[in-house]
Amino acid sequence: MEKKAALYICTGCGIGDALDIDSLKELATDDLGVPICKDHPFLCGAEGVDLIKKDIQDEGVNTIIIAGCSGRVNYDVFNFGPDKIVERINLREQVAWCQPPKEEDTQMLAEDYLRMGCSKANDTEPLEPYIAEEEYSKDILIVGGGVAGMTAALEIAKAGRKAILVEKEDKLGGFLGKMKKLITMPYKDLSDTGAEDLIKEVNENDNIKVYTSATVAKISGSPGLFTAEISADGNSVQERVGSVIQATGWTPYDASKLNLGYGKIKDVITNVEMEEMAAKGKITRPSDGKEVKNVLFVQCAGSRDPEHLPYCSSYCCLASLKQAAYVKEQNPEAVNYIVYKDMRTVGQAEDFYRKAQEDGDVFIRGSIVNINENGGKLSVETDDELLGERVNIEEIDLVVLAVGMVPTSQPDQIPRIQAPEGTEGADEEGMIEVMPDSGFFAKSALNLEYRQGPELPTLKYGFPDSHFICFPYETRRTGIYTAGCVRRPMEVVKAKEDAAGAAMKAIQCCEASSQGVALHPRAGDISYPEFNMQRCTQCKRCTEECPFGAINEDEKGNPLPNPTRCRRCGVCMGACPERIISFKNYSVGMIGNMIKAIEVPEEDEEKPRVIAFVCENDAYPAIDMAAIKRMQWSPYVRFIPVRCLGSINLVWVADAMSKGIDGLLFLGCRHGDDYQCHFIKGSELAETRLGKVSETLDRLALEAERVKFLEIGITDYNRIPTIINEFMETIDELGPNPYKGW
Amino acid sequence: METNTSYDPSFAREVFENVDSGEEIKMCMQCGMCAASCPLREHMDYPPRQIFSMIRAGKRDMVLNANSIMMCTSCYTCQVRCPRGIPVIDVMHGLAHYAISKGILTRKDTAVFGREFWQQIYKTGRIDEKDLSRRYFFADGIITGIKKSLQMARMGIIMLLHGRMKILPEKKIKGIKSLRSMLDKAMQTGKGGSEV
Repeated sequence: MEKKAALYICTGCGIGDALDIDSLKELATDDLGVPICKDHPFLCGAEGVDLIKKDIQDEGVNTIIIAGCSGRVNYDVFNFGPDKIVERINLREQVAWCQPPKEEDTQMLAEDYLRMGCSKANDTEPLEPYIAEEEYSKDILIVGGGVAGMTAALEIAKAGRKAILVEKEDKLGGFLGKMKKLITMPYKDLSDTGAEDLIKEVNENDNIKVYTSATVAKISGSPGLFTAEISADGNSVQERVGSVIQATGWTPYDASKLNLGYGKIKDVITNVEMEEMAAKGKITRPSDGKEVKNVLFVQCAGSRDPEHLPYCSSYCCLASLKQAAYVKEQNPEAVNYIVYKDMRTVGQAEDFYRKAQEDGDVFIRGSIVNINENGGKLSVETDDELLGERVNIEEIDLVVLAVGMVPTSQPDQIPRIQAPEGTEGADEEGMIEVMPDSGFFAKSALNLEYRQGPELPTLKYGFPDSHFICFPYETRRTGIYTAGCVRRPMEVVKAKEDAAGAAMKAIQCCEASSQGVALHPRAGDISYPEFNMQRCTQCKRCTEECPFGAINEDEKGNPLPNPTRCRRCGVCMGACPERIISFKNYSVGMIGNMIKAIEVPEEDEEKPRVIAFVCENDAYPAIDMAAIKRMQWSPYVRFIPVRCLGSINLVWVADAMSKGIDGLLFLGCRHGDDYQCHFIKGSELAETRLGKVSETLDRLALEAERVKFLEIGITDYNRIPTIINEFMETIDELGPNPYKGW
Repeated sequence: METNTSYDPSFAREVFENVDSGEEIKMCMQCGMCAASCPLREHMDYPPRQIFSMIRAGKRDMVLNANSIMMCTSCYTCQVRCPRGIPVIDVMHGLAHYAISKGILTRKDTAVFGREFWQQIYKTGRIDEKDLSRRYFFADGIITGIKKSLQMARMGIIMLLHGRMKILPEKKIKGIKSLRSMLDKAMQTGKGGSEV
């Protein structure tokens, strides 16, 4: 495509007052060779947009460079179709609003941004979406036929799609099918579980295909193009699906690990056993089969205990209140004792707690000291925190342990793999424990054909990794979503909501994949990474480092990209030592040219230059926000937005340093256990890579302090001026880069 | 933690049946808002929260002998703040009333004051400050009565000077009969009144 560029400078929002617009236009036309250059006082207004549209029509402009507000705003106004290249230069937030007006340094900053923007527009190629040759499937595979799985299937069917439901047991229902009653709206009384109706509805729906006594033997391919091999009743069936929902649920925590008499005393049972017993009929003592009178419930049996389950499973308090109601129903004279740490009745269920109190259940805050059996009855010794005494509760018929939820993704035993020689912590045979965030950790459910492992990477408690607040259903495998108790502990009402949410994401995934656009978090992005395979050295860094396992690998170690699995973060681009991975609108060379476009003043001018590589997701908006608050900082810093800090290629450090740039700042998201990185590992990888840069700098006789990595959250905008100015002080102390002018 | 007690539901049942608003304490979730709000907390043996907890555990003697139940000044802070809407004041007075009816007089002068107060209200429909104080001070005999009166003499003179206390006896209110029938009714339902 023959490019015809045009630059439009908006002089509104204070830009015209802060800068000498005429000299900027002169720079663009004379030095940068932009054929058309216009300014307008209100470019995002109808008149301004018409001006651009007219040029597109009359002059054949196809590359539009807009110097005005931040690219984070008005992106809908300045959208001229996918075949036009639009480049935004942020003169408003990052020049006019954060620098003193009509100063020489401010003008130089604007000029540099103009040079960088024009260079970037020059290197950008028009985008075409990736469309695979095979036909896309819009069916959705759901693994697990419990309440979450069934609800998800129904939601998908209601949306007019096809769902394929795989359940490992011989009938649908999961834990819901084993329950007697439910606490749900309006939380005043027990209601029916509705399991039978739900199962019936699923079985009768034409859009849902159910496989019972079935497991998923293999899932290969990528979103929109998955092929699932299901082994049902010994037969193997193949299904093509667009996306997958894992709703495999939970298992109760093993109560025999607790020192509460389970397994030793017959009349100590778990809440799951209690529920099953109640569903079958009378609640009796397992030891002698007599009906129970006094029942004691032990809350947090193993939960919120660092030795067992460190988290709250949120359902156990409600389950015990419900089971206490069963006991009362059976015998109104019965006494229920509930020994708790904190009563946690999530959602609106506090009303049911009130009901239990009205019914006269006895609540004891404290912990169990021991449970003894004497003469057929049990006596339970507790430390009553509220009385401040040790209390002995006698004549107990049955003790119910309210055990927590363990996700089905948690393996029974941590798997071990062969470690490279000399790895720390390896045993005699060279085996090492698999880390939870590896795809080889979780218990078998999906059997993905992914180079990074067959299952979803998990977080610290064995739950598949997802962002609790920002993107709960997303996992670290694009197009595969989790719902229900495998995602986090929850009760039935919540699991249904969860299923609906995951179903919606799965439908979105099928649509987006078939259109060749990216999913969350760069939703709608049509660029995708392209590999120049002639120069690949099979180093496997891209296949290893991709946070989403998007790249498979052949026997020789060549990367096999799966564009519909890709989230377009560019981590592979940053990883590649040969720089063979690039996007049409984002590449190593492009950023390199932007760095080269910056004009570096001579040493004696005493105007240092610093480049800040800024994560587009959190750090860049934080800077915009600081500017909106009219905070000011050093005019010597140039910001370059990057898709993710994980996409920074170390060659940029060399490019910048050899050009005489005095310092480099890298602003990315928080990483670690409570990471905020939109691409999970990007900022962490960036820090690791930058850690290795200091050796290179040492060799060049440059100080390692010239390169600095910082974690910035979107709420840290008030720290921006301090961060930048402190870094500038460091640069002043170090003195100018000796490579200036080379 | 030393004493090894056991939970005994019989006292809780006794309270539910006999004490004004007694059954309301079932709803207590032991958050301690009442204890944190009470201006007399530091003078009490046990805060209201703990009283409720002890009732559930069946500690009859400790509850009925606690000074807490007779210390309530009806400031209503706890009742306003209670997240479970328990009428804490009513329960505390109810317990005091019940303890007195069982012959337990942990704070005798509080009981006496209550009795005299009610009797005056019943008689005249209003409080005669000098008469009430005289009866209250002299309840334990003449000598203590004189001592107590002398201690409060200055206050009495100031009240006289400011017209807060009259030299002549107070007159009955209009419609005393209607008030009495109201009080009788309250007495019947077990609410209000204090008899030693």
